[in-house]
Amino acid sequence: MIRNSLRVAPALLLTLLIFLLVPVAGFAELTETEVSESLICYACPGEPLNIDRCGGGNQMRAAISRLIKEGKSKPEILDFFVAEFGDSILTTVPKKGFNLVAYTGPLIGLLVGIPLAFFIIRRWGSAGRQQATDNASTERTATLDEKTRRQIEKELSELDEED
Amino acid sequence: MITFGILSQIAALFFTLLSMGLLLSGLGRNNVRLVQAGKRGLLSAMAATTLASIALLSLFLTDSFQVEYVASYSDRALPLFYKITAFWAGQKGSLLFWAWVLSLFIGMVIFNNRKEPDNRNTPYVYLVLAGTLSFFLFLLCAVSNPFDTLNFLPRDGQGLNPMLQNPGMIFHPPILFFGYIGFTVPYAYAIAAMITGNTGVDWIRKTRVWNVLSWIFLSIGIILGGQWAYVELGWGGYWAWDPVENASFIPWLVSTAFIHTAIIQERRGIMKVWNMVLIQLTFLLCIFGTYLVRSGILQSVHDFGATGLGGYFIIFMVIATIGGIYLLAESYNEFKTPGSVESYLSRESTFLFNNVILLALAFATLLGTVFPIISEAVTGNKLTVGQPFFNQVNTPLFLMLVLLTGICPLIGWRKASVSNLRRNFLRPAITALLAGIIMAAFGIRELYPLLAFTLSAFVGATIIQEYITAIRSRKKLSGESSALAGLKLLWKMRRRYGGHIVHFGLAMMVVGIAASSAYKLESQGTLRQGESLSIGDFVLKYESFRQYEKYNRTIYAATLGVFRDGTRIDEMEAERRYYVNAKQPTTEVAIRSTLVEDLYVTMPGIGKGNEITLKVAVNPLLIWIWFGSGLMVLGGILAIIPSRRKKS
Repeated sequence: MIRNSLRVAPALLLTLLIFLLVPVAGFAELTETEVSESLICYACPGEPLNIDRCGGGNQMRAAISRLIKEGKSKPEILDFFVAEFGDSILTTVPKKGFNLVAYTGPLIGLLVGIPLAFFIIRRWGSAGRQQATDNASTERTATLDEKTRRQIEKELSELDEED
Repeated sequence: MITFGILSQIAALFFTLLSMGLLLSGLGRNNVRLVQAGKRGLLSAMAATTLASIALLSLFLTDSFQVEYVASYSDRALPLFYKITAFWAGQKGSLLFWAWVLSLFIGMVIFNNRKEPDNRNTPYVYLVLAGTLSFFLFLLCAVSNPFDTLNFLPRDGQGLNPMLQNPGMIFHPPILFFGYIGFTVPYAYAIAAMITGNTGVDWIRKTRVWNVLSWIFLSIGIILGGQWAYVELGWGGYWAWDPVENASFIPWLVSTAFIHTAIIQERRGIMKVWNMVLIQLTFLLCIFGTYLVRSGILQSVHDFGATGLGGYFIIFMVIATIGGIYLLAESYNEFKTPGSVESYLSRESTFLFNNVILLALAFATLLGTVFPIISEAVTGNKLTVGQPFFNQVNTPLFLMLVLLTGICPLIGWRKASVSNLRRNFLRPAITALLAGIIMAAFGIRELYPLLAFTLSAFVGATIIQEYITAIRSRKKLSGESSALAGLKLLWKMRRRYGGHIVHFGLAMMVVGIAASSAYKLESQGTLRQGESLSIGDFVLKYESFRQYEKYNRTIYAATLGVFRDGTRIDEMEAERRYYVNAKQPTTEVAIRSTLVEDLYVTMPGIGKGNEITLKVAVNPLLIWIWFGSGLMVLGGILAIIPSRRKKS
């Protein structure tokens, strides 16, 4: 079986070859876009800086480029803007206080959903078994009825013969 | 034409309300003729809504700027093509478009059922459809009338936002609307089934095409939106997790869950209550999506602004939700079915887990989308939840979903045996493992991209394995050639292979998304004519500059020679456009797409002496996203082509 499976189908090779197309250059140096996608334009509330193209956004982008040239890391640059404009300048919700609801909500959903799915399948299983047992007993009853019917018919015919 | 438009809208509302009255009377008196009359009333409403839409279109085409909506979204210089698409550029026209398409869909339902005698369900189906239509017609007549006029006659209109002057704008909004609106039909059938206690699979079977078709439209709409963002907005991405984008994605996720569990109900007669919940959720989320876009409660790059429609949408959603919950509670015992799944290792179980993940994704996206409102209400601080948050929360869930996409087709119904699992899983698992090892050896070490590629290889391998095995079996039985057997399989088992093609497309998309997100290269520079900018293996040389007029815009274009290893391999033209009546210039993206990567160039600035600023990116495997999504749509279409054999 295993030897058979290792005789890899042409399809498998093709799949592998396709995946080798993926460039392996690795992560490049910190870019302005990488930082700007984590920030909101201060002049256009709600608009991510990497999408925004207004004058206010240009000032922020220029500041990011300057800070990158100065060798600052992404968290340092974000801290710089948070100090200037507060948390609302970030596109990422800071993981603190009430904001944790946003992060834990889906997790709680999964923690409830997955055991619930297991429970439902288990219930389906027991209901299925019950149904199977019911079906079997119905079949038995049907067989018994058939037997009885035949017995009656036989006895009746014997009676006829006797007559 | 203005009066004609207004009267047509009023007539449409009148006919719809009249139909509802006739249908209710028909139900009360058990009179089929009244029900028939109600249906004819809906056809009249369809005709009236069509006339109102024609009126608005003609106002755009005749530059009738005394109409506020026309003046806001069109001008004299706007090409004819975009004057037509301006119909749905703003919220008033979009609402009319909603009502028009819904009325056409109702007409199609009536036409499709013309040969079938009306049963107990029929009046309820049309009542729900008419109720939804009347809501939109009421908004048009009383709250948000596209035929409202100005107190003066402007010499010209304000014009269409230059960003919307793109071919993508023709198809993206209407197709997305087709998806939203299409789910009203299965929703109506589900409500009717609950009212009449019709617990069979009738409503699922009757609405299967509507479900899948609406899902296809929603998918195409979302993809076109992403494609439009990629080629038009110039920020180098295709999906920003903007509230309006999310508004379309959330019902897509829930409807995907529904399509899967509807199959279980069809095959096994179970999950009836769950399907009722899912179709109601899908419909409500479609309305919620429309509300989110139209209410202006969340800041979005789509910027429809506050419209005062929010309250009406909330009332509609509350009525639909309470009504749905009441009907579900009333009919729960009739719909509740004992299951008959013998094992956790069954296709039913994997479908259920796929539902959990899809709903968790929908919930996470919904929570992130409305979190700014919740946060403001609780803490007084209005946060913006953007791309990094959604990527962080949703990526692991997506990967689980991809894994399940691979596992589902390998497991049989009811109960999978160990030998069945070994036979089906071994080759795909080895393929995925080898793919992962080879990619890791070539330097891909980041967890999420590596997992995404490996799991996509797993999905691809499961489907290819299944297809090849089926071709071999068919060849043995029929003696056909491999190609013929493959084609005949595709055609004869359209539902099955349609689904597989959708999954294969999803795997391709995942590869494209992972590669273009994790291995994107970016560079920026200011160049004088003759100077070059390099990125990855490419060198871009600024060769020439030209300025010219076209339609309603002045175009400044820079020609760039593309070099690789010192050889000139191509030429690209990045543009900056100044539209008549536009406040700001826009950039026109230049893209050189190959199977391996996209070279993406924008020109955010032009300086003295035609010095240009360029932003350049290399997006690996990005085209795979479009190919993959195209496959998903094709698979969906294949799955709904009706079978002649079944009809007979």
